[in-house]
Amino acid sequence: MSCEWREKVAGYVDDELPSAEQQEFSAHLNACPECLAGVAAQTELKKAVRLAGTRFTAPPELHAAVYRSIHPQKGVNPWWKWALAPSCAVLLGLVAFLLFPRTQPDPMMAGLVDQHVTTLRSAHPVDVESDNFHNVRPWFQGQLPFTFNMPEVKDSPFTLIGGKVVYAGQNPGAEVLYQVRQHKISIFVFQAKTTGGAPAKNLSFNVSSWAQGGLRYYMVTDANKDEAGKLAAMFQEVNRS
Amino acid sequence: MSHVQNSPNSDFEKLALPLLDPLYNFARWLSGDADEARDLVQETFAKALRGFGGFQEGTNFRAWMFRILRNTFLTSKSGLEQRNTLQVEEDSLEDAAVDHETPELKLLRRADTEMVQKAIARLSPAFKEVLLLADIEEMKYQEVADALSIPMGTVMSRLARARKQVRDYILQTTGGKP
Repeated sequence: MSCEWREKVAGYVDDELPSAEQQEFSAHLNACPECLAGVAAQTELKKAVRLAGTRFTAPPELHAAVYRSIHPQKGVNPWWKWALAPSCAVLLGLVAFLLFPRTQPDPMMAGLVDQHVTTLRSAHPVDVESDNFHNVRPWFQGQLPFTFNMPEVKDSPFTLIGGKVVYAGQNPGAEVLYQVRQHKISIFVFQAKTTGGAPAKNLSFNVSSWAQGGLRYYMVTDANKDEAGKLAAMFQEVNRS
Repeated sequence: MSHVQNSPNSDFEKLALPLLDPLYNFARWLSGDADEARDLVQETFAKALRGFGGFQEGTNFRAWMFRILRNTFLTSKSGLEQRNTLQVEEDSLEDAAVDHETPELKLLRRADTEMVQKAIARLSPAFKEVLLLADIEEMKYQEVADALSIPMGTVMSRLARARKQVRDYILQTTGGKP
């Protein structure tokens, strides 16, 4: 307990000593068992604190809320919004009339937005990873009580990332993950026994939903609506009976 | 058609979103409550977003975010309740450094996560926040000083005291085992 270098142990372990002193202390450790033991104990303690202290992870709804606060009015860019407004209004009106006849927000949607955020934050966002739908689609067979088609996106701006089985309202469904530029798009597919209805409002993500062939499809993304709409249209095309 | 156009908040998003989990972890440890931690983090992001225009490039963004969270916590109800205990005595560091016998190392290695978490939870807020930032967020002493608006010497003394208390708790607990 008498080494005059002893007080430098913490600074050395924290890499806070000036560079020359750090090297000098390192050399000193070869000759001083006392300081060496001190460094070992301090390192062990630091490691234990780091492992034990990294304890809490922000819940998905907090991620979603923070994202919403950063992008309160995420949408199309103003400079061309106005140019396209008349045709978009007509188109969206038509789509809304055809696809969303109900006016009640879909209770599934908020949960699926959370699922999308969880996927974005996950180190393993998909269980089957492939950019080829011939690999992804068969993977779902046997895991879900239904099948669905997936579009070929090879010559489109979209890239298939993969898929996984998810649960919502205690029903199993598919989450198929795509990328367009830096944005991710989740397409969720469930049996249509769930209520469907209009997408929830005031979400920072672009969300949409449609029913087709006894299944209900949901799309959640931060890509803009027009871009994501193209992927939705591709899905609708290949599942047309 | 290429139009790579960042939204006005995209710079903030790029810097701030990776800090969400560390900030939440810090908030949970400070407040001890999931709902309060969530509110603290949301308020921190809202304040930071508002102040981001005045944020000077080159300043430590991470320390700035943690400072906002910590200041928000200090003005919250539970933060005010804890405030008295922030006035800790900066004891002599004479006994702050650890002893270095090998048996101690063995005992430290016997510490499980739950035990260390209990040791951290028992620390006073002033010690806890320094330990969290230095050992969990792996901030440099100066960064911790910036985040907490305290002198670097105070960071070092509180860190040494905090580690000593954690170590003592572990040694006491593991040493008591058969």
